[in-house]
Amino acid sequence: MNCEVCQLKELEVEHFEIREVLRCILHTIVFHRALGLVRPKDVDLELFEITYVQCGDVELEKKIDEKIDQFISWVEKHPNKKSQICLSFYEVKSKQPSWFTNKTERLYWEQWYANLNVTQQPKQHSSKSHLTKVVVDPGESANEERSSRRAMVEASLREVLFQIIKFVNEKKDHVPPISEGVIYFPYEITMPRKFQ
Amino acid sequence: MEMDRESGKLEQIVSQFRSKILHVILNSRVPSLHHHYQQQEPLSLSRVRKSDKWFNLVLGDRAAALENLNFSLRNLLDPMIIDIILVHHSSCSSSVDNLYTPSAAVGSPSDETVIERWVVQYDCARVNATPNGADTSSSYKKTYKKSIILLRSLFAQMRLLPAYRIFRQLSSLSQTYNFDLVYKVSSFSHPFSREEEGAMKEYIFVPVEAFPGRLCVSVTYRTSLSEFNLEPLVSLPSNIITDYVGSPTTDPIRSFPSSEKGFQATSFSIRGARPPSPSPFQRPHSWSSGFHKGLPLMQNQSLAGSPPAYRTSPKPYDVVSPQSDIYGNRIRNRLPTLQQATAYDEYQLSPPFSASASPSPPAYLSGANPVVAHHCSETAPVTIPFPLTGRNSFYLSLNSSDPSRHSLPPLSPRSSKHDASSQESPSGIRSYRKLEALRAGESPSGLSINYSAHKMVRDTKDDSGRFSGLLSSSGSPRIGFSRSSSRLSFQDDMDDCEFSCPFDVDDIDVSDSPASQNVEGKKALDFTAQSVPVGKKSQDAAVGMLVHMLRTAPPLRQDPSCYSTHSSKTVGYEGGVGTASGFFMPCKTADALEELKSYREMRDLLLSKSGTRVVRKEEM
Repeated sequence: MNCEVCQLKELEVEHFEIREVLRCILHTIVFHRALGLVRPKDVDLELFEITYVQCGDVELEKKIDEKIDQFISWVEKHPNKKSQICLSFYEVKSKQPSWFTNKTERLYWEQWYANLNVTQQPKQHSSKSHLTKVVVDPGESANEERSSRRAMVEASLREVLFQIIKFVNEKKDHVPPISEGVIYFPYEITMPRKFQ
Repeated sequence: MEMDRESGKLEQIVSQFRSKILHVILNSRVPSLHHHYQQQEPLSLSRVRKSDKWFNLVLGDRAAALENLNFSLRNLLDPMIIDIILVHHSSCSSSVDNLYTPSAAVGSPSDETVIERWVVQYDCARVNATPNGADTSSSYKKTYKKSIILLRSLFAQMRLLPAYRIFRQLSSLSQTYNFDLVYKVSSFSHPFSREEEGAMKEYIFVPVEAFPGRLCVSVTYRTSLSEFNLEPLVSLPSNIITDYVGSPTTDPIRSFPSSEKGFQATSFSIRGARPPSPSPFQRPHSWSSGFHKGLPLMQNQSLAGSPPAYRTSPKPYDVVSPQSDIYGNRIRNRLPTLQQATAYDEYQLSPPFSASASPSPPAYLSGANPVVAHHCSETAPVTIPFPLTGRNSFYLSLNSSDPSRHSLPPLSPRSSKHDASSQESPSGIRSYRKLEALRAGESPSGLSINYSAHKMVRDTKDDSGRFSGLLSSSGSPRIGFSRSSSRLSFQDDMDDCEFSCPFDVDDIDVSDSPASQNVEGKKALDFTAQSVPVGKKSQDAAVGMLVHMLRTAPPLRQDPSCYSTHSSKTVGYEGGVGTASGFFMPCKTADALEELKSYREMRDLLLSKSGTRVVRKEEM
C-alpha cells in the first residue's frame, strides 16, 4: 500500500499565531481520519474568523497540544527558520518474529506536512517595538497593515483547510478499514529535521 | 441471494446517507434547527441512539421537520435538492419595488436569495461493472467507509463556506436581524439565472461508489455575501423585569378593588374562614381553602416573581398577606399582568417560556382558571422573579411585634404578654379554650370552669384547619411548634390540634421569674373564667398562660415539700399550693377558693393519669 503524502501550503505566521494555526490544521486532519463514532465539536478560532471541527476526544486534544508546545519551544530555539510538523497515520504490523527481534512494524499509509514560516521577532525587540508604537503612535497605517496581514493569514489558512478537504475527498482507497471500537487510526506527530 | 442482501444493505446506506446529509446541512444552516440541536443534552457516546450512529457521526435527535422531510423524499433515485435561502425582511421596501428589482442581481440583495444549493443524488445512470462475488461482500463496507469520509469533509466544509458566518450571526440569541435563513428541500429546483450563476461557485465532492450507482454530492454557493447587510434590530439584552406592571391602558384588571380584601381573607381562608364571595374580577377558585386550591394564589405569588422552585412547592402557610403595603401594592399592580401571563402560559411557547429553554412551567398553570383566560392581553408573558425576601419580609411583618417569634414558638409568657396586646383573633378564643380543654381533661369538675371547653374542643377539632392557619398567621415557627409530637396522652385526642403539645414550650421557653409566670398564668385563668377577654389575647398567649398555670399547679404528690423551686423552664411548681393560689390572685376570695378547688381536681386527675411523669419532672 502506498503512503499518500500531502504537503500543505506554506503559511507565514507570527509566533503568537502558531498554536491556533496548528491546532486548526491538525484537528481538521484528525477529524477526517477519526472514522470511529464521534460527536463533532465546533471550535472557533480566536485570532481568525474560522471554525474548525474536533472529534471531541480529550486524549487526542491533549496529545496534540503537547506536540504543539514542543514545536513552539523548538521554534523559539531555532528562530527565523522554516519549520515543519508532520502528522502520520500508520498501521501496526507485526514483523516476522525472528530469533532476535519481535518488533512490530509501523506501516505508514498517510503523511501530512504542515509548513510554517514563523516570522519571529526577538522578545526585546518586540517589547521595544511595542513601546515605540505606543510612544510614536504611527496611526492607522500600522493597524491597517496588521489587519491586512491578519486577513492574508486567515485566507491562507482557509485555503489550507480546503486543501485538506480536497485531499481527503480525492484519496480514499488507501484508508485502511475501520476497526470496531476504534475512534481514530494510530498516528504520530513529529518534527522532521530537514528544512528547505 | 447474496446479491439481494448486499443490494439491500447498499440501499439502506444510500437512504441513511441522504438523511444524514440533510441533517448535517440543516443543522449548520437553519438557526431554529440548530437551537433544537443545542438544547439537547449530549448523551455519552455509549448511549447514543442507534439511528444516530449511522456514519459514526453523532448529531443528536432530528427535529420533527427533518423526520417529515425524510419521509417525503424516500425515492432514492430522485435527487434531493436543498436550497438555503436568505430572506430579507425589509420594512421599507414595498412589494411594488420588489417586482422591478432583479431577484438576485449581482451585488444587489433581494428579498429571497438562494445562497447555497446542495444536491445529493444517487446516480445510477452510469452503471459500473458488476463486481464479482468476492467483491460484493466488501463493496458495501467500502461504500460505507467512503461515505463516512465524505460526510466528514462535508461537515468540515460547511463551516468554511460564506453562509456559515451568516448562520452564526442569525443563530445568536442576543440579537435579532432583519434577515432569516430558511430552507427548501425538494426533488427538483429552478435553475439559477445567469446573474446568479455568475455570483456562485460550485464544488463537487468526489462521488462514492455504491454499486450499482454512486453517491454524488455537490454544492453551489455564493462566494460573497457582503452585499447582504445584516443589520441587527434593536437589540436589548434579554432581561427579566423584576417589577413589571404592565400597561394601564390595556389592562382591564388593573383596578382590582376586592384584591386586597380577597387577599386579606385568603391569608386566613386557607385555614378555615370562608373567603368572601369572589368579585367578578376574581378567580372563583383562587381563594378557597385547601392545599391545592391555594395554588392559584401561589400562582399569583409565583408569577409575581417567586422563583420556579417556589412555584412547585406551595405551602398553606406561605400565603401572601396584604398587610405589608408594599407587597400589597405589588400584588395589586401585578395581578392583571400575572393573569395575562397565566393565560398566555396556558397556550405556551413564547420565549423565554419555551419548554426547553425555561424551567419547566408548573403543571397547574395549564389548568388556570378560565376567567383568567378572558383577560389575556397583548403583553408578552415574562417571568417575574419574585424575591423571596419580599415574601419573607411580609411573612415576618406579621410578627413584627415580637422578633422572638421568628425563631421560637412564642409561647413564653413574655411573648404571650406581648401577644395579648398586639394580636386580635377570634380564633384565639378557640385556641385558648382548647388549651383549657386539655387542662381540664375528663374531670367533671372542670366543667364548671370550662363548661364550654368540650364544646370548644369539638369546635377546635372541626376548625383544626383554621386553627393551624391562625397559628401561621401570627408566625410560622408556631406551626412547627404546634405540630410537634405530643407528649401527653390526652393530647392524642387532639391530633388535629396545632398546639398538640404545649409542654414542648418548656424546652424552649426563656427563663422567667416564677412570679411573673404565675401572674401571667393567673391572668390567663382569669380570662378563662370570665370567658370574655381571652378573645383579645392571642392564641400564643393563651397557650403560654396554660403552660404556666400547669407549671405552677400543685404537684401531684401530696407532699407539698416536693414543690421545690426549679427552673421555670422545666417545672414551674414553685411555691406549692400556696403559690398556686397566689398565682391566680383572684379578685374575690370565693373565686380563689373555687379556683383552688378546681386546681385540686386537676391535680387529682393528672395524678391518676400520669403520676410518673411528675416524678420525672421533679427529678429534673
